[in-house]
Amino acid sequence: MRSVRLFSLVLGNLRRSRNHFLLASIGIVVGIATFAFFLALGLGVRQVVLGKIFPLDKIEVVPKSLDVNVGPLRLGVGRDALDDAMVERIGALPGVKAVYPKMKLTVGSVAYGGESLFGTDLRSEIVADGVDPDLLTSEINKDGFEFVDYETPERLAAEPPTPCESDEQCGETMYCGPPPGTTTPRPDRSRRNKPRPRTKPPAKPKPQPRPSPKTVDPAVPTRTLPLGAMGPAATQPAAARPTTPQPATTPPAKVCRHFVPVIVSAHVVELYNGTLRRAHGFPQLNPEAVRGFKFDLVIGQSMVAASNKDHVVRDRGMFVGFSDKAIPLGLTLPLGYVQRYNVEFGNEEDAQRYHSVVVEVPTKDDVAQVAKGVADLDLQVKDTGAEEAALLIAVFMMVFGLVSAVIVGIAAVNIMHVFFMLVYERQREIGVMRAVGASQGDIARIILGEAASLGTAAGTVGLVLASVAASIFDHVSASYVPDFPYKPTTYFEFPWWLIVAALAFSISFCVLGAALPARRAARMEPARVLSGN
Amino acid sequence: MIRLRGMHKSYRTGKLVTPVLHGVDLDIAQGEMVSIVGPSGSGKSTLLHAIGGLDRDYEGTIEVDGRDLRAMSDVELSEYRNRYVGFVFQTFNLLPHRTCAENVALPALFARGEGTLTPSDALARARDVLGRVDLSDKVDARPTTLSGGQRQRVAIARALFNRPRLMLCDEPTGNLDSVMGRAILDLFVRLGEEDGITVVIVTHDPTIANATQRTVRVQDGRVLEGTEDTPASTSADAESETESEPESEPEADPEPRARAEA
Repeated sequence: MRSVRLFSLVLGNLRRSRNHFLLASIGIVVGIATFAFFLALGLGVRQVVLGKIFPLDKIEVVPKSLDVNVGPLRLGVGRDALDDAMVERIGALPGVKAVYPKMKLTVGSVAYGGESLFGTDLRSEIVADGVDPDLLTSEINKDGFEFVDYETPERLAAEPPTPCESDEQCGETMYCGPPPGTTTPRPDRSRRNKPRPRTKPPAKPKPQPRPSPKTVDPAVPTRTLPLGAMGPAATQPAAARPTTPQPATTPPAKVCRHFVPVIVSAHVVELYNGTLRRAHGFPQLNPEAVRGFKFDLVIGQSMVAASNKDHVVRDRGMFVGFSDKAIPLGLTLPLGYVQRYNVEFGNEEDAQRYHSVVVEVPTKDDVAQVAKGVADLDLQVKDTGAEEAALLIAVFMMVFGLVSAVIVGIAAVNIMHVFFMLVYERQREIGVMRAVGASQGDIARIILGEAASLGTAAGTVGLVLASVAASIFDHVSASYVPDFPYKPTTYFEFPWWLIVAALAFSISFCVLGAALPARRAARMEPARVLSGN
Repeated sequence: MIRLRGMHKSYRTGKLVTPVLHGVDLDIAQGEMVSIVGPSGSGKSTLLHAIGGLDRDYEGTIEVDGRDLRAMSDVELSEYRNRYVGFVFQTFNLLPHRTCAENVALPALFARGEGTLTPSDALARARDVLGRVDLSDKVDARPTTLSGGQRQRVAIARALFNRPRLMLCDEPTGNLDSVMGRAILDLFVRLGEEDGITVVIVTHDPTIANATQRTVRVQDGRVLEGTEDTPASTSADAESETESEPESEPEADPEPRARAEA
């Protein structure tokens, strides 16, 4: 029997018995909708939790240390950083796809700005780290924004900064500032060193305008490092670096410079919108519109613990995007900038004091192998809770998968009853078909074809229901649930294989339910059915 | 063409075994028109179903053109029914949800191999065959809108659809009045003469029996040919005859039988 004929025969039979089939398919529809809804929810949550919060394909390797509590302090015993050689050894481990060193900014710094956003300039202590820009290229570099190190020695040598006198000469994406590596004396240094009066305070001095951090006072002497001295020195092995800065020919007073690209975690904006803005009466921010926001950075100046150096580095930064790979609370810069800042306020060796290394593995199945290699190097994988989260999600998905399997299983029994009834009702028709040439296989195929078609239709309806329920769920979450860190725009993921699996699940159970009735129909004796007529 | 030898048939209901046919031997030639008569429960329909390949649960052999039906696989036997045999039943057995043309073209759905028709060709042939039984104007009608005689002609058209060599008719006029029965009989005679089809008719109607070339009488599971009291051929052994004879042949649906007997 040809497929086309079988299909038309099956469709005709389905139409004829649509009321029976509608009732029979309710259980399958509910079961498949449950199956698809919860599986998609599990996958969506898994995507957020394991893709963003605890990425399983990227593990963070940190030095192995032992924390010892000494009174109110907890002291770490052992090394606290990784050098280039160790990063190279990690990169050579089997199963490692790529390594991305991370470095924390080890000097107190502040950021100023925000008048365009908040109506007034804000000043904030910043915590920052640097990551290899390659880790974020595909995620950030779009819409005209780039997360790259613009002041590497190679770039500066290839494209020497253009002298300028005002920002307008440099365009939208650059500003007119002191040449890279220029330092200025710390304005509050002398005040900080003054002993505080213990007795009667002197007469209150007349308030002086605070020196604006945005502009460099031309009266204050500045020191300009040779162009690119920080760059190449920071990224070269210590032995190859010049021990003292070489004097340069007269550098221009100001040059066009790229803003320091800065990314933050989406969590920062959520924290601001959820808590901080309420406390200070600031407006709520649209995360998308914050991209391109510019501000001043003063490295080496801090209210908490400034560096021992008598100067600061003034740069200007620009938000270029959000990433879950950014430091949870602070700013993330391209690694080269942080290396140069740390060297400027520390020593040459600080250029390769990485605090961790992000290791990318091809699949999560390779994590165990890499983790073992990491342990052999006397390092450890930072425990992010990813495995526990993955286990929890897997259990969640299994439980609801089981529930939906039970629903579909019960529906299959119902379908079996319906098909038994239909076979009984249609036994004379089956007898006639046998008399005009239908084989046992033809009859079984007709019944199973009806079951498969029913399963396809019920599975499709179930999937549509699941999709609609997911949309409603997302809409309710977006409209009525307050923002929270990592709040996704959708909690669901419907990959193609989920749709195929749901349909296969539906068809399989319907065919399974109809198998016995089909067998009975096929084995029906036509002579007995038609005899005596 | 058709050769039955030593055919035994019993019906089993649980542990109860009810013999129906006792070693029947019968030969029917190609193009012959044969009526099978006998009382209810004598095994006439059982004989017809076995010849038509609807029942393989018997002992002995049935050969059609030299091929043993019991040796055929289910698919081969289905093909035999599809291409070689046309059935006509007392209650027509038309599918009420299909039009007359679709009922007539039903065998095309299960055709295999050579001669398989496309749906449109099958419907075209169905129209032709309906024309042969004078029902050209009922092509798209549902069987439920037709009279008994018209329904039986649709059933005959379905039997003729694949141009069979053998037509097996089980009480074809049983549900028709005498005029309509006569018309159906004339149709069979015409088909036999025009197409050379072998026609085997199970009937209670002596008019039909008299109109056929040969009458085979089945009684108590044995074949008596020619006259009622002249056994033509039996091969039942004496021991098997000691078994009690069935009062009636077990039926899946006793109501039609009751109607026929009424």
